[in-house]
Amino acid sequence: MTASPAPLIAFGRLRAGRRLSADTFWLDVETPAAESFRAPGCFLKLRGWPEPGPLLDRPFSLHRVQAGGLQLLIRRVGPATRLLCGLAPGRPLKITGPLGRPLTEIIPDPADFYLVAGGVGLAPMALVLDWLRESGRRSRLFYGERSGRHQVDPAWLAAWADDFTATVDDGSGYGRPGLVTEPLAEALAREPRPILACGPPPLLAAVTGLAERFGVAPWVWLEAGMACGLGVCLSCSLPLKEGGRFKVCREGPVADGRTLDWEAA
Amino acid sequence: MKEPDLTARLGPLTLKNPVLTASGTFGYGLELKDFCPPAALGAVIVKGLSLSPWPGNPGPRMFEVPGGLMNSIGLENMGVEAFVTRALPPLLAAGATVGVNILGRSPEEYGRLAARLAGTEAHFLEVNVSCPNVAKGGAAFGGDPRAVDEISRAVREMGGGKPFLVKLTPLVSDIAAVAAAAEGAGAAAVSLINTLPGLAVDLARRRPRLGGGLGGLSGPAVKPLALRQVWLCAQALKIPVVGLGGIMTAEDALEFILAGAEAVEVGTATLIDPRAPLTILEGLKDWLRREGLPNLGQIRGALRI
Ligand SMILES: Cc1cc2nc3c(=O)[nH]c(=O)nc-3n(C[C@H](O)[C@H](O)[C@H](O)COP(=O)(O)OP(=O)(O)OC[C@H]3O[C@@H](n4cnc5c(N)ncnc54)[C@H](O)[C@@H]3O)c2cc1C
Ligand SMILES: Cc1cc2nc3c(=O)[nH]c(=O)nc-3n(C[C@H](O)[C@H](O)[C@H](O)COP(=O)(O)O)c2cc1C
Ligand code: FES
Repeated sequence: MTASPAPLIAFGRLRAGRRLSADTFWLDVETPAAESFRAPGCFLKLRGWPEPGPLLDRPFSLHRVQAGGLQLLIRRVGPATRLLCGLAPGRPLKITGPLGRPLTEIIPDPADFYLVAGGVGLAPMALVLDWLRESGRRSRLFYGERSGRHQVDPAWLAAWADDFTATVDDGSGYGRPGLVTEPLAEALAREPRPILACGPPPLLAAVTGLAERFGVAPWVWLEAGMACGLGVCLSCSLPLKEGGRFKVCREGPVADGRTLDWEAA
Repeated sequence: MKEPDLTARLGPLTLKNPVLTASGTFGYGLELKDFCPPAALGAVIVKGLSLSPWPGNPGPRMFEVPGGLMNSIGLENMGVEAFVTRALPPLLAAGATVGVNILGRSPEEYGRLAARLAGTEAHFLEVNVSCPNVAKGGAAFGGDPRAVDEISRAVREMGGGKPFLVKLTPLVSDIAAVAAAAEGAGAAAVSLINTLPGLAVDLARRRPRLGGGLGGLSGPAVKPLALRQVWLCAQALKIPVVGLGGIMTAEDALEFILAGAEAVEVGTATLIDPRAPLTILEGLKDWLRREGLPNLGQIRGALRI
């Protein structure tokens, strides 16, 4: 078992930003520490708005590590994400991470996978694809959104995901109308593979149910409000089915969905 | 110039400096050691411990409000037994001065916690009285001087002489009276404030923002209230006062010392930057050097109102 990378506090600079849908932004953060963040599945915490702004740093998945920088995928949902998505290039950012346990440690011997992303749950998938590709594993990405206005630019997505299926709940955008779990269920019926899923809790619960039906492992990115991200405040602690608790920021964020008590969480 | 003298005295305890960690924001003491070595601080106060492990509240457990943080962790903890056998020895080995925060549901439980910790090498106890009193229908002990007296006596009688601080809740009509009860029952010091009880509402869903319903407010928003309560206690007591509540910078810490605090605790700031207690400590030294002062004695309690 490889040890979790020790988190560090680094400074970065916003190098570029790009709008990918009505409310989704790609940020490219240049930092000398970039390579220390090559930890698939992990996240960081970030601040960089004019002070006094939001009090707590905000957690974001590592989308990619490239060209001496970290790339993030951020959906604008409230004050901090609004500020971050509107920053001008050159702006200094404070980065704490990588946080959590990398997939290389949680799943030391990866198989071929189905990746499932609901909404901005797409964020961690690029680094995951890089890792699976390097491990000689095949993967197929299922990407679902509620409506077309949230869907990221399909050309941008195709540039890093060579095999993906997009769905849109209300049929208003590109890809197949309906829920992302529909093509996933079909794929599982043809060829069962373990799943890596990131998105809203109802999606994760549904994916866990499908995985149980097809006898494969559901690895899910757990969602919990976080204050410290470093395992000291217990904001992110979730109950386990067998009793005991799981600190998402420290022991996750990825966990086997079957171990979680979805009712109590 | 000579290094400033930062020692702080809490009754029989002499701490190497006045910067402590606030319970619940520094885990069991070693989680953040790479950012903030526990031995560098005046003391490390660990997460509140109960007799048996507590699961805590359902989520969401935190919600940010302007200038502050609401939490309802619900006092999740590993229980005193696991702490004493697993977490305490490595923390002591790391050279930390250790304060153990304890919480119970009755004076008797506080006494049993003190008894369990009496024989350990932990340096002192911090008695969190902001807990629901099961016998009194869940009303907090911390508002009632008689309950604080009873708990403090139980801790003194069972604690084998280990020094203890009583940590006070700010939402009381007469903070000095509650603090005086702790003093009268033999506390080495009082620490305040614990979080300010509050409620955050999710209008769209017509329900509380926190899974536990009510919560506790911390961070910069509570600092003016904390300073007032610390000042009132420092005026009224002979024992030292440890001040906390919204301390984010060395200047904040100095304001508490000016208001009469012997030492300070750093809480929410550590959740934002794990180096915060150390940064604040360095800031205190820099400030003393800049002011040409040999120690904090010249400003401690110097605030005139
Ligand atoms: C480990 C982790 C990784 C994350 N990765 C990403 C990412 O890659 N891209 C991205 O866009 N977002 C990600 N998030 C969510 C992101 O942190 C929040 O959207 C952000 O903190 C919101 O801040 P805000 O001030 O803009 O909005 P706030 O006012 O804080 O929140 C706005 C709304 O979002 C909800 N919300 C906030 N935080 C969360 C959360 N953690 N889970 C569920 N709902 C939440 C709030 O309840 C509220 O309804 C991640 C969260 C975690 C815990
Ligand atoms: C996440 C969190 C957990 C806490 N847990 C405890 C606890 O277990 N025992 C206790 O006495 N105080 C606890 N507190 C209160 C803090 O120790 C402190 O009194 C309060 O947060 C005010 O200080 P601050 O504004 O610097 O955070 C907790 C606070 C927070 C934010
Ligand atoms: S966010 Fe603080 S313990 Fe996980």
